[in-house]
Amino acid sequence: MEKPKPDPRTIGARLKEFEAAEAERILNACTRCGKCYEVCPMARYSSAPPADGKEVVPGVLAVLRGERGSEAALGWIAVCTRSGVCVPACPDAVDPRMMMRLARMTALGGRGLPKQIEPQQDADYFDRVRAFAELQLTDEERKEWT
Amino acid sequence: MAEPLTFWYGCNVLRHGDIIHTCIDLLRALGYQPHPVGGPDYCCGTVKDANQTAAGGMATRTVGRLNERGARVVAWCPSCHSHMHDFMEHAAERHFDMTYLVELLHARRAELATLLVHPVPMRVFLHRHVGFNDLVPVNRMVPELLRLIPGVEVVDSHYVAPGYMCASFAGMPKALQDIHTNTVRAAKQDGAEVVVTIFHQCYREILGLDAAGAIPVYNYMHLIARSMGLAYEDEYKAWKRAGEGAAALIGPERIAKVGITFYERAILPELKKRPKLGS
Repeated sequence: MEKPKPDPRTIGARLKEFEAAEAERILNACTRCGKCYEVCPMARYSSAPPADGKEVVPGVLAVLRGERGSEAALGWIAVCTRSGVCVPACPDAVDPRMMMRLARMTALGGRGLPKQIEPQQDADYFDRVRAFAELQLTDEERKEWT
Repeated sequence: MAEPLTFWYGCNVLRHGDIIHTCIDLLRALGYQPHPVGGPDYCCGTVKDANQTAAGGMATRTVGRLNERGARVVAWCPSCHSHMHDFMEHAAERHFDMTYLVELLHARRAELATLLVHPVPMRVFLHRHVGFNDLVPVNRMVPELLRLIPGVEVVDSHYVAPGYMCASFAGMPKALQDIHTNTVRAAKQDGAEVVVTIFHQCYREILGLDAAGAIPVYNYMHLIARSMGLAYEDEYKAWKRAGEGAAALIGPERIAKVGITFYERAILPELKKRPKLGS
């Protein structure tokens, strides 16, 4: 029997619920001390001028609330590469790496809110992966493994 | 009876068929029965930050497929492994145990050592990042694995790159340039002959240093393969070194399979890309 097709409105619903709950948890836990920004090895690559962590973090939380982030916050969000150095630096068990990841998803428009930073578009991403599979695996391997 | 495993290799490692084949041989030699899965149909969805509907759909589908296999999952890709823990298992119920390959090899290192019979005389600088290490302590475990190989010497170095892997720096050329420059500088200062990466995403980027003649580059699995006596050719390295001339190595038959237009637009630029090194 053919599997029923999922209702498109429910696709990703559980993930979105989890992300919303995490955003709420972070908003309640964070005391805006700015330690996560201070220890971040990527902050210096931000296109925004250097700023105090106590000023930058409220901008990140604004993004999580669905509001417009400050220039400093959006600049920092754009260069986060999940170093995780912020996690042990946080005195409030916020998990700033999760905070930044959710802020990035939100700012990219991924959570259904207006886009605030531009995604890097790579239209060939999955076709390139498939092409390398063609170049590197046998037909049988591709059929069995991919 | 051999334990069946689902070997979830990921997407972008498909550039490196030799690494996938080595992992499969290695798992078999350790007494497992691995079934490899990967590619876009098993994508974790981590690349879909800008579309959480798609990411959620992909996570649900992939967790479902891995559930159906009914075996422990061994992950190769650090992005897939961390995305499973951070997001995917919250999108769909996971019914399988999961291990990162380095963890499994480290737990079985006594048996692994018996397979590493051929000397690989190399003084190695291990290219490390800070980000993934708190989920799996790869920065400690991989040197311990490499030191099982006769002839390998891993230099102690203080340089650890930011981020969790090089590929996430693709849109940040200055940061990537700093990583390349600091990697070569640290390797040479420490008297290493080669740079060895833990992740394939770093191998792809750092390999540009090899192609540019700055320093030879390997993935740790290449050294394990050599020591085991496996003879898989690192074709991606040969293509990268050849750059514009890679088509001759790939051959017209395989180029035709992916299409010459696609090859020239989407693959050749990557093979020709060389790193910029700062002073």
